[in-house]
Amino acid sequence: MKKILISLKHISKSFDDVKVLDDFNLDIYENEFVTLLGPSGCGKTTCLRLIGGFETPEEGIIEFDGKTINDLEPNQREINTCFQKYALFPHLNVFDNVAFGLKIKKIAKPIIKTRVEATLKLVKLDDFSNRSVSTLSGGQQQRVAIARAIINKPKVLLLDEPLGALDLKLRQEMQYELKEMQRELGITFVYVTHDQEEALTMSDTIVIMNEGKILQLGKPEDIYNEPKNRFVANFIGESNIFEGVMREDFLVSFCDREFECVDRGFDSNELVDVVIRPEDFDFVPPSKAKITGVVDSLIFKGVHYEINVIVDDHEYTIHTTKFRDVGQKVGLAVTPDNIHVMKRHQS
Amino acid sequence: MKRLHGYALPYIVWMIVLALIPTLFLVVLAFSDLALFNLGSFSLTLANFSIISLDTTLKAMGNSLKFASITTIICFIIGYPVALYLSNLKEKTRKILIALLIVPLWSNMLLRITAWEKIFTPSSIFTDIFGLSFDLLGEDIAIIIAMVAMYLPFMIFPIFSVLEKLDTKLIEAAKDLGANDFQTFFRVIFPLSAGGIVSGTIMTFLPSMTAFALPQRIGLGSTTFIGNIIESKFRTEIMDFNGISINQGSMISLFLMLFSITAFILIVKFDKEGETLI
Amino acid sequence: MKKQSLFHSILKVVGLLLTISTFIIIYLPILIILIMSVNDSTRGYGWEGFTLKWYTALIVPSAYPEMTALPNLLNAISDTLLVAILSTIIATVLGTIFAIGINALSRKNRIRMVVLNNIPIVNPDIVTGISLLIVFSLLSFTLSFYTVLIAHVFFSIPYVVLSVLPKLKKLDPNMYEASLDLGCSRASGVGKVIIPNIATGILAGALLAFTMSIDDFVITYFTSGDEYLNVSTWLYTVLKHPRHFTPAVYAYNVIIFLITIIIIIFINNVRERKEKISHEKNI
Repeated sequence: MKKILISLKHISKSFDDVKVLDDFNLDIYENEFVTLLGPSGCGKTTCLRLIGGFETPEEGIIEFDGKTINDLEPNQREINTCFQKYALFPHLNVFDNVAFGLKIKKIAKPIIKTRVEATLKLVKLDDFSNRSVSTLSGGQQQRVAIARAIINKPKVLLLDEPLGALDLKLRQEMQYELKEMQRELGITFVYVTHDQEEALTMSDTIVIMNEGKILQLGKPEDIYNEPKNRFVANFIGESNIFEGVMREDFLVSFCDREFECVDRGFDSNELVDVVIRPEDFDFVPPSKAKITGVVDSLIFKGVHYEINVIVDDHEYTIHTTKFRDVGQKVGLAVTPDNIHVMKRHQS
Repeated sequence: MKRLHGYALPYIVWMIVLALIPTLFLVVLAFSDLALFNLGSFSLTLANFSIISLDTTLKAMGNSLKFASITTIICFIIGYPVALYLSNLKEKTRKILIALLIVPLWSNMLLRITAWEKIFTPSSIFTDIFGLSFDLLGEDIAIIIAMVAMYLPFMIFPIFSVLEKLDTKLIEAAKDLGANDFQTFFRVIFPLSAGGIVSGTIMTFLPSMTAFALPQRIGLGSTTFIGNIIESKFRTEIMDFNGISINQGSMISLFLMLFSITAFILIVKFDKEGETLI
Repeated sequence: MKKQSLFHSILKVVGLLLTISTFIIIYLPILIILIMSVNDSTRGYGWEGFTLKWYTALIVPSAYPEMTALPNLLNAISDTLLVAILSTIIATVLGTIFAIGINALSRKNRIRMVVLNNIPIVNPDIVTGISLLIVFSLLSFTLSFYTVLIAHVFFSIPYVVLSVLPKLKKLDPNMYEASLDLGCSRASGVGKVIIPNIATGILAGALLAFTMSIDDFVITYFTSGDEYLNVSTWLYTVLKHPRHFTPAVYAYNVIIFLITIIIIIFINNVRERKEKISHEKNI
């Protein structure tokens, strides 16, 4: 069992009378890559700022390594942050930005020099040390921000949407590099993003948040394959969500048809939500299909086609590499283990 | 940076002591017989009100309002086209010309007034060097010319700074939607520069209304402004420790404050963060 | 080349003519001051020949014992400069601190504070002068050098605040937090990260404060006793008693004027060079 490093207990925080976090509980383990994922305004950044010490909770306790740190100033915490839009110091060059923390600690100059050079090498910016930060590209600035934080050897690195300002290609590259860096450094990363793909790619644990509450916490695969509710299913990946009824164990009915499934433990005739991922549908000859419909629209997406099929009154989204033209009649099949049944939430 | 809001606290105290308390005191002084230099019991009275109904005071108020209004209108008529013209120039020329407009302000104001006095004397240095004579000293027109020269930059700067920041895309959008140059100006540019016009008007009107050295020098003392009366009630009487004049002076100052309060309301309405004031 | 509309052409011609008139009308008195500063005439009613004695008199006053009005002017000049320098330093430090505080407030409170800040700017000088006079008499301060100093600090701070605030607004708020995150205390974070990045605003505010102070007449007039005179109040007094006037004041004004211009050109050059350097690095 891994050791708990940070623990948020019963945290409440509001801004201008709006509750952003309400009785919020979260444990973060050592050497873990945790991603807080949710739409804007869900409280994920506030959570990060509480850990960093930039906000103080109204209620609850924040523990670090078993000790309460509620009243510690940011400069007294063994935690560093990589800010959104980087917050590099424009009046300092790359070297001085990275050396900032060490200079504050009054570390001897030769040691600072070696450590800055080593850290710049780690982020692949060894040739940039005398450049003014304003002349760097977004990706390079991002690396400086990371170098500036990790040079202080924190136990935890907080990252607030660090890749938000980069273009797609660079973002994917950096995702890979960040993950590598986390393994190499062996420290805990707490990562905030609203980008589900980023979260799935990098995290050991994903925490899905909405309106100040944790909706689901788990490994990326588990969250993708077994979303707990409609919100999570919608937020992680694209989904077809249907309202259905659980007839009995392993039998669910939706869209006026009954399907075999792998879920059990529901009340008989309980109202449920059913999720089927777009890539889990297969085309079969209409004569043999349980579901038949007409192709309504077709978009080429590169790797696959996104096809909308109208079945009765419902619209199904399907990702497939097979071509079907608009207006064509198609049959759809889905295997029982690709049908995910979730409890329906009253709202 | 949010946690630094404590740095603003001493400023509130400082402003309360140096701006708010004296204002309240001014009100008390105006409506009582309290002696400023010999604080003690006092009774409320409307007697100081009589100063406002005096012929000399009414005349001075009339003069102040008249000259300030004329000056402001002339400054606007000249200043707006100048600001517009300057804002359309190339960046380098624009910067140099604006700097050249600021430069004269570094000359002492009273000395510049003295210079106008020299210009308007019947036989002046002007006559000697350029062979020109403007014998206008003591005339209304002389006061107005000097005032316009003095306050015109304060009309130009705020309007210029608004026009300079105006997004050229808005003008292109207006034209794209079918407006001609004339319509673009009156329906887009002019309304959007309202904040600058308000600031400019205030920065021209208030100082010219409360001027007292300029009318005294250029007007040869024959045209009394409200400032001259306040000057005599406060500054001159302080030296004689003559109480009642100060109460009367306070009454007139309150009258002036009505104008600054109006100015404040306008500024808060048009330019919340006061960015066009400097 | 696009053809310009009639409206545009008219606007351009009118604008040009009015701009020329504006420059004439505001430079005319400057020209007179310049001429008077080299005019060999004490009363200044006419041109009596070129001289530089008013300038040399300011530098070596002992060489001109016949200029009886000179000592008073020199006193006024040194007092003016002393108040200007001290009030600029104090107002710049305080104004910067206050601006940082105001910037940290919520939007609503920030607007309130800016309105409060603008009181001395919008209020006519005469009202500000009287208000300060009332405070000083309530506090039983004798009108002196010190009351003038307080008054100048009072009306200068708002200009510093207004010069610094826009620079603060442009800063990434996370930047200050980054300094705390990297080990700075609250105060050292301000010194190491905020101040260097708003330096141009502070400098502009200081320059503004200095020019406001050195030129002030009305507020000084109301907050100084009989024994304290700055150049403006000295001038106001001697204009009523021409025997005590000396044209050396024109020379003083020209010197101050030139020094200010040199400072501005210098600051501008430094800034342009900086911009150029960062521009070249970009390429």
